[in-house]
Order: sequence, then C-alpha cells, then structure tokens
Amino acid sequence: MQDFLELAVSAAASGCVYGLVALAYLLVLRPTGIINFAVGEWAMIGAFAGYVLLTRFEWPYPLGMALAAALLALVGWLTERLTVRPLVERGAPVIAPILALLGMLVVFRETISLVFPPDPLPVPYPFGLGRLELGPLAGSYQSFFILAVTLAVFAAAWLFFERTVAGRAFEAVSLNRRAAALMGINLSRVTALSFAGGGAVASIAGLLVAPNVSAHYLMGVPLAIQGFTALVIGGVGRVEGALLGGVVLALAEQLTVRYAPIPSGYAQGVPLVLLMLFLMVRPGGLLKARA
Amino acid sequence: MSGFVKAGLAVLVLAGVPFFLGDYHNDVYRKLLLWVTLALGYNFLFGVCGQVAFSHFAFYGIGAYSIVILLFQLHLPLPLAALCGVGLCVLFALAVAIPSTRLEGFYLALATLALGQLFVVVLNEGGEVTGGTSGLANYRLPEVLGLSLRGPAYTGVIVLLLVFTFVVLARLDRSWFGRACRAVRDNPEAAAAMGIDVARTRVTAFTLTSALAGVAGMVYAFVDNTVNPPIFGIENAFLLLFMVIVGGAGRHAGAVIGAALLFLLPFWLAPLVGQHHVLVFGLLVVAAILFKPSGLVGIYDSVRARS
Repeated sequence: MQDFLELAVSAAASGCVYGLVALAYLLVLRPTGIINFAVGEWAMIGAFAGYVLLTRFEWPYPLGMALAAALLALVGWLTERLTVRPLVERGAPVIAPILALLGMLVVFRETISLVFPPDPLPVPYPFGLGRLELGPLAGSYQSFFILAVTLAVFAAAWLFFERTVAGRAFEAVSLNRRAAALMGINLSRVTALSFAGGGAVASIAGLLVAPNVSAHYLMGVPLAIQGFTALVIGGVGRVEGALLGGVVLALAEQLTVRYAPIPSGYAQGVPLVLLMLFLMVRPGGLLKARA
Repeated sequence: MSGFVKAGLAVLVLAGVPFFLGDYHNDVYRKLLLWVTLALGYNFLFGVCGQVAFSHFAFYGIGAYSIVILLFQLHLPLPLAALCGVGLCVLFALAVAIPSTRLEGFYLALATLALGQLFVVVLNEGGEVTGGTSGLANYRLPEVLGLSLRGPAYTGVIVLLLVFTFVVLARLDRSWFGRACRAVRDNPEAAAAMGIDVARTRVTAFTLTSALAGVAGMVYAFVDNTVNPPIFGIENAFLLLFMVIVGGAGRHAGAVIGAALLFLLPFWLAPLVGQHHVLVFGLLVVAAILFKPSGLVGIYDSVRARS
C-alpha cells in the first residue's frame, strides 16, 4: 500500500505535466480546430529557457518561470502571426496550418540544437531535492510543486473560460466561428491569444518536467504524444478532461513500469495502446462535452 | 501496351546507370531510388488521399526486419518470408488505421507518431531477435532462381521495385479508387454523399501504402546487408512528408522531385551548414506551404504556362 501511494504521487505529478501539455493543445484546438504538433517543442523551449534563466543567470525561480512563460507566449503569438494567419486569410484548407506547424516543430528543434550543446542541460529544482510527507501521501518536493502549479494553472483556465467575457468569447468561437464573428467577436484576436496561451502553458509544462529529465532538444516529441493521448482519454470537450486524461495516462504508464514484467522502455507503448483503446471503445473521451 | 514499353524502357535506363558509377556513387544511387520509391507511396497516402501519417518508416522497418528474421532465424524460404512480411505490415496497418480513422481529425497522425516512436523502442529492446541497438548484420541474400544478385545487378532489383511501385500507384490513381481517394481528401462529406465509404477508403489507402513501404524495406534489407534501428525512426518519416510537400503533394512528379532534392541537398549543404541541414528542410517546408502550396512541380507548371 505504501508502495502504491508513493507511486500514485509520482504518477499524479507526471500526469499533471501531460495534462498541461494537453491543455496547451486544447487552448489552440478549441477556437481554431488546429492540432498544434509543435506544442511539445514549446515545452522543450520552456525547459531551455529555464536552463538559461535559472541555471546560467541564477534568477529567483518565480521570476524565471514568469519570464519563460512570457517568452513562450511571445513565441506562440509570433508563430500564429507568421505561419498560421497568412494561411487562414488565404482560405487554405485546415490541413495547411497543421502542416506549417509541423514544419515549425522541426525549425524550433533544430534551432535549439544549433544554439545549445547536444548534452542534456541541468535545470534546478525550485525547492531542492527532498521528501515531503502529508499523512499517508509521500513524495519528492518536486512532485508536490508540480501538483500545486498545475492545479493553479487549471483553476486559472477554468476561471478564464467560465467567468470572464474573453473566455466566453473563446467558447463562442469554438462552438461556431461564423456566428461568433457576427456577434462582434474579433476572431483573429482570439486566435492570436489562444496561441499565446498555449505557448505559456506549454512552457510551464516544460519547466516543471525539466529538473527530472534535464533540458534536451529531443524531449519535445514524446511530450507531444503523451499530451495528445491525455487529451483523447479525457475528451476534447472540457478543460478538466485534459488533467484527468493526463493522470490516467501517467498512472497506466507507471503501473506498467512497476508491475509488468517487460523492459521499462516499452512503457513508451502505453500511450499508443491507450490511444487505440479509447478511439475504439470511447472515442469521446471520459468527460462528455456539456450540451 | 505502350505503358508496358515505357515501363520497360525506364527499367533499362535506370538499371543501366549503375554500370557507369563507382562503388560510392552506386550506393548513393541505390538510396536515392529507395527514397523515391518511399516518397511515391507516401505521396499516394498524403497527397492523393489527404492523410498525414508518420509510420511509413516503421513499416519500411517492419518489412526489413521481418524478412531478415524470417529468413535467417526461422529459416523460411524467400517467397514465403516475403509473403509473411507483407502480411505483418498489413496486420499492423489495419490495427492502427481502423480505430484512428473512425473519427474526423488527425488521430491517424498521432497514432502513427506513437507507433513510429514505439517501433524504434521495440527494435532497441528486442534482444537476440532484433539485435538491439546494433541491429542485425552478417547475412547475405540467398540465391534467387540460381542467380546471385550482387552489385549493379541488385541495383536492378531496386529499379524493378521503383517501377513496380510507380506503375501500381499510377494505375490506382487513375482508377475508381484513386478518384475516391481524391474525393475523400477534398471533401469527405461530399464523398460520402456520392456513395464512397470514407473510412474504408482511408483504411485501404493506408494499408496499401504501408504494405508497399514494407516491400521496399525488404529490398532495403539487402542493400547494406545490415539493418539497425536509427534508420527507421520518425526523423526519416518527417523527412518523407517534407519531400512530398516541397516537391508538390498529389503529383507523382512532385514526389520524385522532392525526394531527389531533399535527398541530395545534404551533400551540397554539408560544407555550409554541417549537420544542421534539417533546419533548412524545416524552413523550406514552411516556405512551401506559405508561398507555393503546389510545390516545385507547381513552380515548373507556372513557368511553362508563362512561356
């Protein structure tokens, strides 16, 4: 039991990271219908921003985190301006921006590998290495930190969508673009904002996972796969679904590594199996969209 | 009939080239032919049927590994081994495509991305069977009908593969099925209204092109007489997609031009950018999508239309 609770805490922490990546997908996907494969690379750039700001310049953690998020919001906004907007304005088919973002995925990754050395680079823990015990739950400081930050981000996202006018505008656009535009919602501003928000959320995910895995230029694609699987498991209809899907996926992964008698590398197969399973059995995800 | 004559001539010319090349250039030429073959197949899936998938190199690898394992570990005869290899590709393709194409959207892209990642892991962790990170080596193509195919003669086999792939895809493209694929790409709802089974068309196109990639993989297995994991990763799958986009998606000529250009570009770029030619590829693709969605073939067309 002790063993399982320990595993549950660490699974919840990695599930939160997947959930954040899924949220970054969702922020772009809902108002625009675009699946942004570059989201994993944004998380990767977030991790490298963490390396530069926190390890090299030794900035205080909250300041470094805020600047990394702001930087990636800028990257997201620029990506939308330069590669997505021209295509949407030209009336290109929806596959065109998705392919352009795939191209950007490679551009981001290769730029990072051009600028930084190929070895994994260290990113510091905000509270160092240590164990925290809360009643029966025990885990590293980082696990609890990830949980806290993720809950804060999801709470902010929920408040934004449910309680603010701008958030309702997002919802309106995701329900019906044309009707939303006719109601006076500025579509191009919503699109730009969604990309900026996606960038910021992805960078937080990258920064949170970086101390455990180190910043490396190839870390993006696995995160992109895990985040999308989390999205399919949770269902694209609701924000909470992203978090739920992430935790389910991480739990499945860690249980496989811990208890299944197969080499640990095969844990990379868990997202694929879950993806197939959910597409076959429950294609809408666990949480149904509200009517 | 003239189609057969043309195909025969193409085989003769392409198979004649290696007799004028040295060992190194012969090797480059063989790899080029294989890339063109893969790009033709991928073009049918992506350009004609409008599906994004990243599993083409996984299927290439399944073909390559399965023929080596079946021939030299299970000691099956060559024709049977080849059939089993194709069967494996079809099986995997169906397992991935049937769930992923049930829904609208890009689930196939994600599922195949995950499959591509997983395949390399399986190769690396496969122990004795797949040879782990160093792969399998030290085998030779058994004699076919009493002939031992080596050197330029084996290049002839690759040429046959290329021309076979091209003929199959070109015929399909002009058949009922090819038009159904284009209809599904351009407007799935309208295609369904015309009586086309959209999901079945997608699954068929994916399975067929994956099987063709598997066959190409079987031929590849005897090019270097070694198979190892890095070649079959998703890096190369991305490259294949880029080749088709830059050359011009949906056109056989586009696939050929794109594959040739992006395959040869690193040789010319190496003195300028070293190992970072992939960055150039990424920029090329984004530029192609933004400024010339019809690709290099489109540029050629508009130049010819003007003159």
